[in-house]
Amino acid sequence: MKRILVVDDSATMRKMVIASLRDLPGFTFSEAANGLEAIEQMQNSPFDLMVLDLNMPDMHGLDVLRFVLSHPDYQATPIVILTTKGDPESKNEALSAGASCYLTKPFQPKSLAEQIQELVNLKLGYNVN
Amino acid sequence: MVSKTSEDNSFFTEFLEDYFAECEEHLAAIRQNLLALESFLNQPTVEPEVLQALFRSFHTLKGLSGMVGIKEAEALAHQMESYLRLLREEHPPLSASGFDALMEGTKTLEQVINCQHQNAPLPNIEPVVGQLKALLPPEIPPSQKGIITPIHLELPSAAQDHLKGAKEKGQQVWHFVFSPNSQRAQAGINVNVIRSRLEQLGQVIHAAPRLNSDHQIVFDFVVTTTAAESVFAPWSQDGVTWNPYETDRESLNPLETAVTTVKDSAETEPAKAATPVPEVEDTSPAPLLSTVDSPPALPLEPMTQPAPLISQPSTVVRVELPKLDALMRMVGDLVISRARLDDYIHQLTNSLPSAQLRPLQELNLTLERQMRDLREGVMRVRLVPIGEIFARMQFVVRDLVREIDKEVVLKISGQETEIDKFVVERMMDPLLHLVRNAVSHGIEGREQRVAAQKDPVGQIHLRARTSGEMVVIEIEDDGQGVDGKKVMGQAKARQLVSTGGGEDHYDGMTLLDILCTPGFSTKEQVDLTSGRGVGMAIVKNTVRELGGLLDLTTEVGQGTCFRIQLPLTLAIADALITNVGSETFAIPQSSVREVIEVPPSQIIHFENNEIISYRGQVLPLVHLSQLFHIAKSLDPIHPDTRLKIVVAGSSLNTVGLVVERIIGLREIVVQALTDPLVRVLGVAGATELGDGRVVLILDVSALVRMAAARKSISQGNRE
Repeated sequence: MKRILVVDDSATMRKMVIASLRDLPGFTFSEAANGLEAIEQMQNSPFDLMVLDLNMPDMHGLDVLRFVLSHPDYQATPIVILTTKGDPESKNEALSAGASCYLTKPFQPKSLAEQIQELVNLKLGYNVN
Repeated sequence: MVSKTSEDNSFFTEFLEDYFAECEEHLAAIRQNLLALESFLNQPTVEPEVLQALFRSFHTLKGLSGMVGIKEAEALAHQMESYLRLLREEHPPLSASGFDALMEGTKTLEQVINCQHQNAPLPNIEPVVGQLKALLPPEIPPSQKGIITPIHLELPSAAQDHLKGAKEKGQQVWHFVFSPNSQRAQAGINVNVIRSRLEQLGQVIHAAPRLNSDHQIVFDFVVTTTAAESVFAPWSQDGVTWNPYETDRESLNPLETAVTTVKDSAETEPAKAATPVPEVEDTSPAPLLSTVDSPPALPLEPMTQPAPLISQPSTVVRVELPKLDALMRMVGDLVISRARLDDYIHQLTNSLPSAQLRPLQELNLTLERQMRDLREGVMRVRLVPIGEIFARMQFVVRDLVREIDKEVVLKISGQETEIDKFVVERMMDPLLHLVRNAVSHGIEGREQRVAAQKDPVGQIHLRARTSGEMVVIEIEDDGQGVDGKKVMGQAKARQLVSTGGGEDHYDGMTLLDILCTPGFSTKEQVDLTSGRGVGMAIVKNTVRELGGLLDLTTEVGQGTCFRIQLPLTLAIADALITNVGSETFAIPQSSVREVIEVPPSQIIHFENNEIISYRGQVLPLVHLSQLFHIAKSLDPIHPDTRLKIVVAGSSLNTVGLVVERIIGLREIVVQALTDPLVRVLGVAGATELGDGRVVLILDVSALVRMAAARKSISQGNRE
């Protein structure tokens, strides 16, 4: 089983993301409502992929991303940015900071699931089919 | 990028309830922050934290609304966000028109969400969107917005200023390090818990993760506090270490210069800067973990406190109110079952040897204690701070004052007082009405206030506090007061009271009764704000339905104060069980002041009243046996029979209820009598006792009114 960590300060949004992905076989999910909590989970219950919001209290998503990727055990972790910000600058910045994928809200559940599955196949060498 | 079609919107409709609940939270936070923002009107600078909090709320609302396909809400939130971004980044002063647009936008957004919730047609958002758009510069090509802004140069100094201010106030600055691990997480010690502990200690001005030299994740917190070290000394068991934080700029270690600040793009909050780069982390973090006796810790790049109003720890679970109601009902059933057990054990007292009886009794007592804890626990879950509806009142006053020519300040205290969620929802309209009344009837016009040598700015106080099992809400204004003569005159003209009595006999109670009569209004002209005369009736009925008490104190020329007392929770209450003849009554303990015994000779017969002297005052008596026409089992004429009197009511109005026997205190499950056909004056509801008997619960406020009415009739007759 692979674990996906969904980080978003909106509880409703976390539910929506997990509901969109729940039909992907081979995954379990955990949630974090802020960056600090997400980083704590790196140590306590490691995850294989992260779906990350950008605009959050305490720690901005990009800071979370940089921190996660700076950790020796997490350098190759696929991180999916899922944000309301659609401007190309934010996207470039996130991708150049090491995000694997930049998706915007509102998203379509099917589309999100497909993108994540592709990413998993590519990055983790793990075929969910 | 994901295409934005509506093909799959139905998928997220199952989250609509969550959406509305979360919207409500954000709107509440927005309202509070907008009020905070108002104080920066036309000021050179606006507090960045307030802007940031507002921005984030609208940002989340925009995202969520887009997900559930409410385009109007999404568009509105987007416009609000754009204007807030302008305020945050280009620092123009906040103009009155700008603030108005934000207020209007919030109101319309709330309407959109409410209409969507009720499936009503949505309001037109175009006017307010236009209003917001007009505030923005003609066009901002996004590519020209600075990506790399050296915000880290100015922000740390703000945080340093904060630190300096804290030091000047005699606060200490500590650097805490928390090392998380899974054992601690299982024991419930996680970063959120530590963070909230630190927030209770003082102000957290910096919070960031770090990799230490062993590649372990640790969290740095910088906290300003006045608390002594002994307060947090026990936390060392939870993986927390600390030492004093060094603020001197001179002592800066090369680390600080090596710490990079995140490049802030258009939407990156400047406050969330300071991510350590890994190369530095490998060599230098060791001193940060040093213990108390090692050299001073390295300074961290502090950041300003993120807006605490809307940060939601993930430990919060949202539950629908009906589920909690069901839980409360189940606890209620348990209470009755236990009462039954209690009675049964009582019956066994004579037939069972005490060696066998005792364990049963002990078990029963334990059960009682545990039930009480359970009940209290369930009740606590339902409590919410009253501040949320208080904040709405600020909006109401603001809007009203603009329509009429008065200056009014609304002061709020005790907004953290907690009360049952259901009660809060029900009290919304009554409070709204009382506040409106205070503005439109209470506070005088400017000239009138000046003529009366009062401060031209009227004041309304909205207060809440807990008092035992009750919550007391007061709405007090320093306006003209209720003109008792005028009210009595009108009441007589409309034959609401008997015309025979003297002009001058009225008290708060009588006035309140008249004011609460449906259709009664002293205002000659009905205006938008108030005057139709049905509002007070609603106030009175709602308070009564919630089992509360409503009082009025007023003085002409000085002001008016409405005091509402409400039970903390509705379903289960402690009650004094009393007996009259063959009937048993429950009197809610929250309204019982004391129980006294009085020899019949102390009763003074006065017209058609019986009164006794009680603590220097006159206490009217109500014989329950007479009220409910019950045959007495005791002979009251016998000189030795002392009367048992339950003194009940609020501090202002009390009544002595004459009963025959006091059986004791019991937990009762309140069942309201809502059927108008079975409603009886003086009876608030019914409950089931342990032995299965159904017992009536007395409506103390109605009995108080009844006694007061009798008093005034006899006073009237006297003349």
